[in-house]
Amino acid sequence: MKSKVIELKNVMKTYKMGKVQVHAINEVNLTIYKGEFVVITGTSGSGKSTMMHLVGCLDIPSQGSVFLEDKNIRSLSKSQIAKIRGRKIGFIFQQFNLIPILSALENVMLPIDFQNNGNNSDRAKELLELVGLKDRMHHKPTELSGGQSQRVAIARALANDPEIILADEPTGNLDSKTGEHIINLLHTLHKEQGKTLIIITHDINFIRRLKNTTKIVKLKDGKIIK
Amino acid sequence: MRLTKSFKLSLNILLHSKLRSWLTIIGIIIGIAAVVSIMSISEGAQQQLESRLGTFGADIITITPGFSRAMGPGNFGGGRGGFEGESSSIDTKNLTSKDVLMLKNIPNVKYILGQISGREDLTYMTKTATLSITGIDTTVWKDITTEQLSSGRFLTSGDSYSVVLGGDVVSSTFEDGIPLNSKVTIGGKSFKVVGILEEGRGAYVPLDVARNVLEDASGDKFDSISVQLEDISLSNETITTITERLMLSHGIIDESKKDFTVSSPTSMQETIQQTMDTMTLFLGAIAAISLIVGAVGIANTMFTSVLEKTKEIGIMKAIGAQDKDIMTIFLLNSALIGLIGGVGGVLLGFFASTAISSFGGIQTAVGGGRGMMGGFGSSTYVSPELIIGALLFSVLVGMLAGAIPAYRASKLNPVDALRSE
Repeated sequence: MKSKVIELKNVMKTYKMGKVQVHAINEVNLTIYKGEFVVITGTSGSGKSTMMHLVGCLDIPSQGSVFLEDKNIRSLSKSQIAKIRGRKIGFIFQQFNLIPILSALENVMLPIDFQNNGNNSDRAKELLELVGLKDRMHHKPTELSGGQSQRVAIARALANDPEIILADEPTGNLDSKTGEHIINLLHTLHKEQGKTLIIITHDINFIRRLKNTTKIVKLKDGKIIK
Repeated sequence: MRLTKSFKLSLNILLHSKLRSWLTIIGIIIGIAAVVSIMSISEGAQQQLESRLGTFGADIITITPGFSRAMGPGNFGGGRGGFEGESSSIDTKNLTSKDVLMLKNIPNVKYILGQISGREDLTYMTKTATLSITGIDTTVWKDITTEQLSSGRFLTSGDSYSVVLGGDVVSSTFEDGIPLNSKVTIGGKSFKVVGILEEGRGAYVPLDVARNVLEDASGDKFDSISVQLEDISLSNETITTITERLMLSHGIIDESKKDFTVSSPTSMQETIQQTMDTMTLFLGAIAAISLIVGAVGIANTMFTSVLEKTKEIGIMKAIGAQDKDIMTIFLLNSALIGLIGGVGGVLLGFFASTAISSFGGIQTAVGGGRGMMGGFGSSTYVSPELIIGALLFSVLVGMLAGAIPAYRASKLNPVDALRSE
């Protein structure tokens, strides 16, 4: 049997907007197994972002439980969650979200620094080589193109060798050709390194182009409809 | 996260920070510079005071006419010779040879030296200068004085129209120098130079001659009486006895109405010390205010910086930064602002106090160093303790000012932080 990496049980996330309570996520059950390639999709306002925050342990549900490798994150302290998140999950964002004052290499080293994982520059250089940016490692994010920035972000996501890669609209800010490259890179990671890959996107056409997906989760009004 | 890594990151943040951070640093530089220069001036004045008082001899008690004025800062303030020179400004000369007699048989009194002083022209060759002329009792002067001879001899009981000159008179007032045994004219009378002291801006002549030469010096009145003690540990008792005797001699019963002042080097030191402490405290308070303003500046900058970096804080949290990592990074950032401000402040303070010192030095040389400023300015001292203290303090100020912003940054919710633009 495949082992679970993330499990959401009866999860609700409620926001208060004025006097009205909005259920961004409503009674969601989802299990993601090791090595899966999951796509979470839905229109704008369907709860994708909230879903991503919950799956990525960035947020705690209002009701229900989120398990990260059988650990209920509700039972962990904030700093424990931060530590586990840093080790188990690599994030890729639509806006790349690199730290602007740090070079590509330093950006990739940062997650390793937060985990105190010893000498990190060799590992970071390896990763930049993997994403094909070895010659750009001393450049600042502002000196990199969108595609290059996203590749640095992928290298950063891999820094602590996490089991899960969580990508939020990874191609949203890229032209289609560059986007293709990024998707291929993520595919490779999934196939060759066996990473659990979770991609969040609103683009239906984009999903059609993805190969090897094991699960497509469609959200509408905070509920899973497919 | 390791401290070295956090330090590197916060240094990086500081190096990439906007003009605002550097303006904040200037605020701290000014605050620390003010504190350092004030402390160094006060420490320098302290040392100078101690060394200068040392030359007066701790075993000598001085009696001067008048009560409140004799202790004024003018007597001690600046240049050499101020001690004797200023007492002529006191109008009532009510110390007489009768008073000297009254003091003669007090136990613990070793020597008594009555002296008169005034300002008179001294001419050598074609050059004339107005000097402080002191008439002293030649029989005890050489025993009681703390002046050092540079050449020649002290005045002795056989001398009449003989003069001993202060070292500075020969070296600076008369630039070409006055050789030993040459003739000078004081108040129209010719004197032979028998000795030259190591320092001092005045001239010493025998008492009787001084009464002839100086205006307003006739009769048997003295400008001051110096008493040398046998045993310095009994000085308080002796001061009491001297006061009682002189009140009797002057027919005064109420101590608050006494018309003379008995002062010892210790009591003078205390008075000056108090004045100086008050002054240091006052200036220190002003410096402290500028430092507080600087600290508020740091806090302000840090709050803005945290706001600006909200997104980055969110990113760092998403990729595994714990609250304490964020806290450390921002706390170190504000500590660094403090430290750089401190280093700049110590340097600026050092230069400022050196500048004040050289300015004060010129004052002393030109004006004869009267008044408090001459005494304050003519030397400053920046001790290693002061430097280390100022640096530690500036780091502490930085960290205190940055504590709340850093705490706020560390408590940011990663989801909210990521959403912000």
